[in-house]
Amino acid sequence: MSTERSIGLTVNGTPWSGEVDVRTTLADLLRGELALTGTHLGCEHGVCGACTVLVEGAAARSCLMLAVQADGGEVVTVEGLADGEVLHPVQQAFWESFAFQCGFCTPGFVMSAVALLRENPDADEAEVRETLSGNVCRCSGYQTIVEGVLLAGRKVRDEGAVL
Amino acid sequence: MTDTVEEPAIGARSVGARVKRAEDPRILTGRGRYIDDVTLPGMLHAAFMRSVVPHGRLLAVDTSEALALPGVVAIYTGADIAARTTACHAGSVVGMNMMPGLASPAFHGLATDRVRFVGDPIALVVAESRSIAEDAIELIVEDYEPLDPIVSYEDALDPAKPAIFEDIGDNIAMRGEMVIGDIDAAFAKADRVIRASVHVHRHSPVPMEGRGTIASWDADADQLTIHSSTQSPHMIRMLISPQIDVPMEKIRVISGDVGGAFGLKTGLFREDVALAAASIDLGRPVKWIEDRIEHLSSAGQAREEMADMEVAVTNDGLLLAVRMDVKLNSGAYPCDPFPGAMYAGSVSGSFQGPLKIEAIAATTTAVFSNKATYVAYRGPWATADFMRERLLDIVARELDLEPIDVRRRNYAVRDEPPLTMLTGQSLDGITIHEQLEQAAEIIDWPAFRRRQATARSEGRYLGLGIAAYLESAPGPRNPETDDQAGGIMGPEHTIVSVLRDGSIDIVTQQHPHGQGHETTLAQVASDELGVPFERIHVRYGDTDITPVALVATGGSRAATMANGAVLHGARELRGKIVSVASDLLEASVDDLEIVDGTVSVRGTPGIGLPLDEIARIVEEEPERVAEGTELVVNRAFHGGRGGWSGGTHCCVVEVDVETGLVSVERYVVVEDCGVPVNPAIVEGQIRGGVTQGIGAVLLEHAAYGEDGELLSSTFMDYLLPTTTLVPNFEIHHVQSILRDPDVNFRGVGEGGMIVAPATVTNAIEDALATLGVRVRDQHLSPAKILELLGTVTG
Amino acid sequence: MLILQPPREGEPLKTPRFDYHAPETLEEALALLAEHGDEAKLLAGGQSLVPLLAMRLARPAQLVDLGKVASLDGLQIDDGHVSVGAMVRERTVERSAVVAERVPVLTEALPYIGHVAIRNRGTIGGSLAHADASAELPAVAIVTEATMVVRRASGERTVDAASFFLGHFTSALEDDECLVEIRFPSTAPGVGWAFEEVARRHGDFAIVGTAAMVALDGAGAVAGARIAQMGVGDRAVRAGEAEAALVGATPTPEVIADAAREATAGLEPASDIHGSSEFRRHLATVSVRRALTRAVERAGGTR
Repeated sequence: MSTERSIGLTVNGTPWSGEVDVRTTLADLLRGELALTGTHLGCEHGVCGACTVLVEGAAARSCLMLAVQADGGEVVTVEGLADGEVLHPVQQAFWESFAFQCGFCTPGFVMSAVALLRENPDADEAEVRETLSGNVCRCSGYQTIVEGVLLAGRKVRDEGAVL
Repeated sequence: MTDTVEEPAIGARSVGARVKRAEDPRILTGRGRYIDDVTLPGMLHAAFMRSVVPHGRLLAVDTSEALALPGVVAIYTGADIAARTTACHAGSVVGMNMMPGLASPAFHGLATDRVRFVGDPIALVVAESRSIAEDAIELIVEDYEPLDPIVSYEDALDPAKPAIFEDIGDNIAMRGEMVIGDIDAAFAKADRVIRASVHVHRHSPVPMEGRGTIASWDADADQLTIHSSTQSPHMIRMLISPQIDVPMEKIRVISGDVGGAFGLKTGLFREDVALAAASIDLGRPVKWIEDRIEHLSSAGQAREEMADMEVAVTNDGLLLAVRMDVKLNSGAYPCDPFPGAMYAGSVSGSFQGPLKIEAIAATTTAVFSNKATYVAYRGPWATADFMRERLLDIVARELDLEPIDVRRRNYAVRDEPPLTMLTGQSLDGITIHEQLEQAAEIIDWPAFRRRQATARSEGRYLGLGIAAYLESAPGPRNPETDDQAGGIMGPEHTIVSVLRDGSIDIVTQQHPHGQGHETTLAQVASDELGVPFERIHVRYGDTDITPVALVATGGSRAATMANGAVLHGARELRGKIVSVASDLLEASVDDLEIVDGTVSVRGTPGIGLPLDEIARIVEEEPERVAEGTELVVNRAFHGGRGGWSGGTHCCVVEVDVETGLVSVERYVVVEDCGVPVNPAIVEGQIRGGVTQGIGAVLLEHAAYGEDGELLSSTFMDYLLPTTTLVPNFEIHHVQSILRDPDVNFRGVGEGGMIVAPATVTNAIEDALATLGVRVRDQHLSPAKILELLGTVTG
Repeated sequence: MLILQPPREGEPLKTPRFDYHAPETLEEALALLAEHGDEAKLLAGGQSLVPLLAMRLARPAQLVDLGKVASLDGLQIDDGHVSVGAMVRERTVERSAVVAERVPVLTEALPYIGHVAIRNRGTIGGSLAHADASAELPAVAIVTEATMVVRRASGERTVDAASFFLGHFTSALEDDECLVEIRFPSTAPGVGWAFEEVARRHGDFAIVGTAAMVALDGAGAVAGARIAQMGVGDRAVRAGEAEAALVGATPTPEVIADAAREATAGLEPASDIHGSSEFRRHLATVSVRRALTRAVERAGGTR
C-alpha cells in the first residue's frame, strides 16, 4: 500500500509542502525533513511536554500528532519566536530568570508559556504552575521557570512586550 | 524571586554576580545541539531488540525474516557482537574490578546465551530509519528457556537459585567488612541500643534526554568517531578501546549539549560497544537514540539498598556507635567503570558525616539480580546520609527528644574534639551548627510546633523534617601532604589562551550538562584577566582538543577543580600577557593592569595595548617579544586547601491521611558551598537536587514485580516531579570558613539530592507520629502511607 | 488509557505501518468504516490513540482521520440539552460559558483531563469512544445520563450513556459506527454537583474519581442522587444502591459517609503499581464522600 501523502502546512510563517509517510509524527517531520531540531522528544508518549509546539496557535504535543493531521495548518516552533538576534519576551525572561539548566525540556516550556501568556498575560503563580504541570523538567526544580513566565507577563504588562 | 539580574560592570568582579548564562540564547532559540540533532552523511539508524523475560537461557535468535524487510541493512545477534569484540570486565580499564571482594563477570554488548533482565539487548537492527528498525524487531523470532528470576536480596542469597553469571557461580557481587573505632567499648558504654531496618528503593536518574550514540567508522583513516550524550567523553574512548580492539588514539569522542545526566552518563554502555562494532563492520555511521521506554528499562537504575542497624545511644540522645549490615541490589551487568556493588561500602563508609560517633562496624553485601544495572545517581553515596539522618530521627522518637536537639548533641563542633572523622579526615571549617540554628530560626521551630498542635486538633497532619550533610567537595586538605582533591579522578587540567582577536579561549576537561560552565568558568577568568565576560569562550566536548579526564563533569568537582584550574591558569596567562606588554610598553610589570581587555600602565588608561594587538605581535612579530612566548597556559590544579561543602535542610509537609497524598508546604535550605561563583547557578543546582529528592520519596520508583517483570516502563508509571509538587524554595547561605587563599568555590551539584529524601521522610514521620506511624522506607507513596496508617493492608 | 504494559521486545515508540484516510464528510468516513470493518480505526484528537500506535499496542490497518469532518465540530444548545459534536475539542468545552451554566459537572471535570496541550487536541467524542475505565468523561456521561448519538452508513441510533461503556477500552460502537454527538441534559436548577479525583500528580490518570449530582427537597432531604465512579472497575459505574439509599435521608456527614461506603463496598478494582485493589477501594470511598459532600452543599444542604 502507498503510505505517502502530500501535505502542506505553514511552519514559523513559511509554507512547506511535501510527501510524508503517514505514520510520521509532526515532531519527526519538524526534526527530520524540516531540520527544526529545537523541538525535542523526551518521551514520545505524550507525558513530558518537551515536544510542545503551537498548532493553530494552541499548545500541542507534536509527538501525539501525525504530520498528516497538520495538513493545511499552521505550526510555530521554538525557532519561530525570536526576531533575528532579539529574543522573544518569553525567551528573554527565561534567560534573565535562569529558568533552566540542561535545556532539553526548555523549548517545550517556552512554547507552553507563550500559549499561556497569549491567553492570559496576567496569569498568577498558581495558574502558571497549573498550566505548566504538563511539562517535565529534571534540572530546575521549576521555580525559576515559573519566575520566568511571571517575568514575561510583567514585560507584557509593564513594557508593552509583544508575545 | 529574581527581579533583577546584576550585570557585572566592566572591571567589577564577575565572581559572585548573577551573570546571565552564556549558554542560554543558543538553547532558548532551539539552536542547542543534542545528540539526536546530529546527522552524518550516510547515517543508518539502530534499534535494539530487548528481552521480555527477566532471566532465561537464550536458545535461538532467528533474524532471517527481519533481514528480508526492505530498508533493513544488518542485524547483529549476541554471537555476532561477541565475535567482533572482546568481553568486558566492568571497571578493568581503571582498575575498579580489582577492588577486594568484587566479583567481575565477563559480558558483551548484547546478550549471548543468557538474558539477565527485562530490557537486556538481544539483537541490534541497523536500518534506513528507526521506524523500519522497529518494524524489523517484530519479525525477529527468539526462543528462551526461562530461569528462576533473582529479584530480592533473599533470592540472591539463596544458594538453590541459579547464578546469573555462571563464571561467578553465585549471586554475590561484593562482600566487605569495616570496623573503625572501638566498637565493643562504645556499645558497652551505651544506655540503650536501638535497632532499625531502613530501606531505600530503586529509582533512576532519568535525564530528559535519554542516552544516544552515533558510531562512525572511517575505514580510510582507521578512525572511529563516537558522538555521544555523555558527561565523560574521554571515559568512553578509554573503556571502549580494548573491547573493540581499536587503539585509544584512533578513537575520537564528540559530545555537544547534553540533556541531563545526573551521574548516569559517566561510563560506557553495552549498547555503545555493539554500535561501534556495527559501524566498523558496515563502514557507515550508525545512530541510536534511546527511546523513553528503553530508557526506563535499560539505561540503569540506582539506589536499591537496605541496612539493619543497631545504634548504641546514651539516654540524652548521643550516638556512640553503630553496627550496620548493609545490602545493595546491584542489578545484572555491572556498570563500567564503576560497578554498583562498590557503593555498598559507601553506605557505611560515608555514614558518619558530621557525627561525633566513636565507632562504626559494618558488613556489606552487594548482590546481582535480574534488574537493570545499578548506576551512579547524583550523590551515589547518598544512602549513607539517608541512613544517618533517618536514624537520628528514629533515636529522637525513641527517646522522646526533638530531632533538632539530637542533632545539636551529635554533630561535631568546629574546633572542638573530635577534630577529625573516624577515617582521619579533618573536620576543619565545618559550619553545621550555624546551619542548624539558622534553619531552626527561619522555620521558627517553636511556632511550628504550636501550629502543628492546632492543626492536629482540626484533623490536619503537618510535619517538620530536618536533615543535614557534609560533602567532601572537595573537603579540607593540606596541599603539601594530602593526595590531590580529585582523588582517583586526578588533577584538573585547563588550557587558557589568548586568541588572535583578543578573546580568551578556555578548553576545559569538564563536560557540562546543565551546570553552566560556559558561564562560571568565564566569570572566574574574567576577574583574573581583566577581560569582559563576553570575550571569554569555553570549549569542551571533543577528545581531540580537551585534556584527558576520567570523569569530566561529576562528583560535584567542577566548582573547586575546574574553577581552580581556570583561576590559576588565567592568572598564569595574565602574567605572560603582562610580561609581553611590559617589553612592548617598556613599563614595569608591576605598573601594568588589564582593564576591559587592554593592558595599560596604571593611571594612564588611554595608552595601552589591546589583547588582539598583543596576540598579533606574538604571532607575527615574535622578534619583539621574548623567545618562545606563547599566550597559552596548560594548567593542572590539585585542589588547593579545599573545604567542606554541606547544608541543613528543613521542610514542612501536610499529609492527607485519607488519601495518603503529601504536599510540601515549605522547603528551607541553609547551604555552605564556600564562595558561589554565580549564586543563581548554585541555587539552581540546589533546587534541582532537592526536587529529585522529593520525587524519590513521593513519586519515583523503578519497580519490579516478584517475578522480575518491570512495572515502571513508561512515564505513566515512573512518575517525575512536576510544577505542582514542589514549593518555592527558601535558600540561605551561611558565612563559610574559607581555607584557601584563592579557590574557595565548593561543589554543590549533589547536596540537594543527598539530603532531601531524609528531610522529607523525617517530616512525614513527624506529621504522623502521633498516629503511631514509624517510617522505615524512603519511598512513601500514597499507598505506603495508608499502609503505615493501618488504613489498608500491605 | 495505558493500563497494559507495552510489549517490550523492541520497546517501540515509532508507530507501525498503516494506511490513512482524511475524509471531509461524515458520509465518506462512514463509507470507509463500512468498507474496512474491523481493520479500520477512527482517529479523533489522537491524544490516546497516537501513543497506543507508538507503543504498537493498537495496530489498525486503516486509520480514518475525522479531523477534516467539519460537521462534527458543533456545540449546540436546545431545549434541555447541550449537544456536543464528537470532534469538539475538550478545551473548547472547558471554556464554554454555556456549558458551565448548563452542565457544570462537565466543566468541573474537564480540567482533570491531562494537561492543557492534551485538551487542546483531545476531543469529547474521542475520549468517550475510547472508553477508558479511568477517564473522566465516561463518568460525567453516566452521571448526567447523556445520550450518545451513533451513526453508520445505513442510519443513526442513540445509546444511553449507561449502556455505552461495556468494558475497558470497549464501547457499544460497532466496527462500522461512529459516535457523532453527545447530548448532555441540562442540570436542573437547584441540583448540586461535584467532580472529585485522586491522582498521584496533577494531570495524571486518575487513581479513582467520582462525579455526583444531588437534589434536595424542601425539607432538606435528598430527593435524588447520582453517583458515578471511575477507576474502580472495567468501566465507569453508577452506584445505584447507594443512590437509592440516600433518597429521603437528610444528608448529614454520617449519612454521606454511609453512602460512600455502600457505593464502594462491592467493588474489586484492579491492583497496579500505584496501589492494591483495597487501596483503590478505600480512595474511592473517600472520593465519593467528598463529591457527595460538595454536591449537597451546592444543592443548598447544610452539613
